[in-house]
Amino acid sequence: MADVLLEATGLDKVYGEGDTSTHALRGVSFTLNEGEFASIVGQSGSGKSTLLNLLGLLDTPTAGTVVYHGQDVGKLGKPALAKLRNSLVGFVFQFHHLLPEFSVLENVLMPALIGGRPPMESRKLAEETLGLLGLTGLEDKGADQLSGGQKQRVAIARALMNRPALLLADEPTGNLDTVNTEQVYKLFRQVGAETGTAFLIVTHDRAVAQQTDRILEVRDGELVQDVRNSYLPPAQ
Amino acid sequence: MLSLKIAWRFLQKSRVQSAFIIAGIAVGIAVQIFVGSLITSLQDSLVQQTIGSTSQVTITALSEGDSFKVDERVLAVVRNDARVKSGAVAPTLSVNGLYSNGNESTPLTLKGGDLKSLDALSSISGRLTAGTARLNRGDILVGKDFADKYALSPGTKIQLTFPGNKERTLTISGVFDLGSSQVNARQAFVSAEVPRALLGWRSDEYAALETQLVAPFDSAAVATDWRARLKDLRIVEWQEQNKDLLTALQSQGSSSYMIQAFVLIAVALGIASTLAISAVQKTRQIGILKAMGMNDAAAGRIFLWQATILGVGGTLSGLALGFFLLFGFSFAGASFSITPKPGFVAFSAGIGIVVALLSSIIPIRKTSALDPIEVIQGG
Repeated sequence: MADVLLEATGLDKVYGEGDTSTHALRGVSFTLNEGEFASIVGQSGSGKSTLLNLLGLLDTPTAGTVVYHGQDVGKLGKPALAKLRNSLVGFVFQFHHLLPEFSVLENVLMPALIGGRPPMESRKLAEETLGLLGLTGLEDKGADQLSGGQKQRVAIARALMNRPALLLADEPTGNLDTVNTEQVYKLFRQVGAETGTAFLIVTHDRAVAQQTDRILEVRDGELVQDVRNSYLPPAQ
Repeated sequence: MLSLKIAWRFLQKSRVQSAFIIAGIAVGIAVQIFVGSLITSLQDSLVQQTIGSTSQVTITALSEGDSFKVDERVLAVVRNDARVKSGAVAPTLSVNGLYSNGNESTPLTLKGGDLKSLDALSSISGRLTAGTARLNRGDILVGKDFADKYALSPGTKIQLTFPGNKERTLTISGVFDLGSSQVNARQAFVSAEVPRALLGWRSDEYAALETQLVAPFDSAAVATDWRARLKDLRIVEWQEQNKDLLTALQSQGSSSYMIQAFVLIAVALGIASTLAISAVQKTRQIGILKAMGMNDAAAGRIFLWQATILGVGGTLSGLALGFFLLFGFSFAGASFSITPKPGFVAFSAGIGIVVALLSSIIPIRKTSALDPIEVIQGG
């Protein structure tokens, strides 16, 4: 049995105050184990991205707690949260969000440099990660010289650079075609198996969610379903 | 150092914008150095022209026109004062005469004294345009404008008329140019015996003891000290005699400071607005970096580094441009040369960098306050 990585308890998120307030999340609770490959599904506006932002330490809940490896992150200050975000979590967004001022290798290196890792060690790890994602040979290319699929793979490489315990992905294939979408999920599984990273992928597409081992469904801010899924890879 | 690397890349990516702001700082610093040095040198030149060749603190008898004894008591006060320029102490006598060539006449003030002392005060020997520096009993050194007006040259004998219809014939030994046409037209130098004989004074009696100081602007303090020690004599210093000049110099200085201050404000606004625009342009990148775990301080440092790079780059270019302007000015044919003072140049360079750093405060605050979620949600 894998160790518990994340424990979310009674997560509430309210935007605004008074009559104009919006209740984006209501009492969401669940746990995620290390190395799990799970997805969060829901309609647009259901609160799934809000949940992802809370779990990714980008936002703070109005009520409830997020506990990583037994530590309540709500008690941490901004600098400590930033540090934890760097070492514990990797993000892949719908838009690749690469830095156009830097090369592919530099983009991938960035989380390690922010975390203050030794440059030589980081470079080796970055090259290894790029290899894992089939991006060898593109190291010196500018981030804005790549195709859409390549950019998203670089973003995944960057998210995996610090070998995070959890990779959070918000509609990571939303801008990709079917072929590229399948490739990305295949990569997620392969990388998860090789690095032991847990994945939590937000999607509105049930077909995509079917490719994960666990599906959490959010509707109107509430967690309405949490089911195990037996994923069978397509026949080769 | 990651912040520095990112700052450098941001600037590199917006090359034209970076070049413009560096040029803006450079022009500002160059103007600051040029205008500041120009005004300072002009003031120095005016002061030098006004008092460089004349007495700065003068001791005379209490009543104007009377003689007094230049004895050891008086000389001790002057010579033992370290603020007095070495050797620049000249006992002098003056007498007013009139020169006429039959058609025209010109009044001349004949200052009598020892050539060596007069030289220490006015460097007459070094400013001769014709003849030799010699002041024997029958010699007279006249100014260039006077000589030119009457077509006089060394060796010519001139007859002068003095009060009481006394007349003397003197031989022009040399013609000087003390840099002021008024002095060159009205002043002449003779040996002390000439006025002494005309005035009927004894050999230790003089009209004035003229001195120059190491720092001319010490004159008021020096005069106050000497007044306390030489109560029976009158002490006159140049600043109280040239109040108009000093007021003009001060006004000129004030307007120069205003110009420099406005130039610096313009530079500061330029850098601040560029950095603020840059902070807005790079909001997405900063948000991404923060989402990856960059803390507020490190994100803020990106703009501090940008300001430092722009400030140092702009200031160094400004120094080069400033010196180029000063070099260009040397060909402008002005009556004085501009000598930039190292302290002032260092001060201007320091101001350029400090202004740039201060300009980064707003973008740093903006960056620190940026929530990465705004960027992530905005796509």
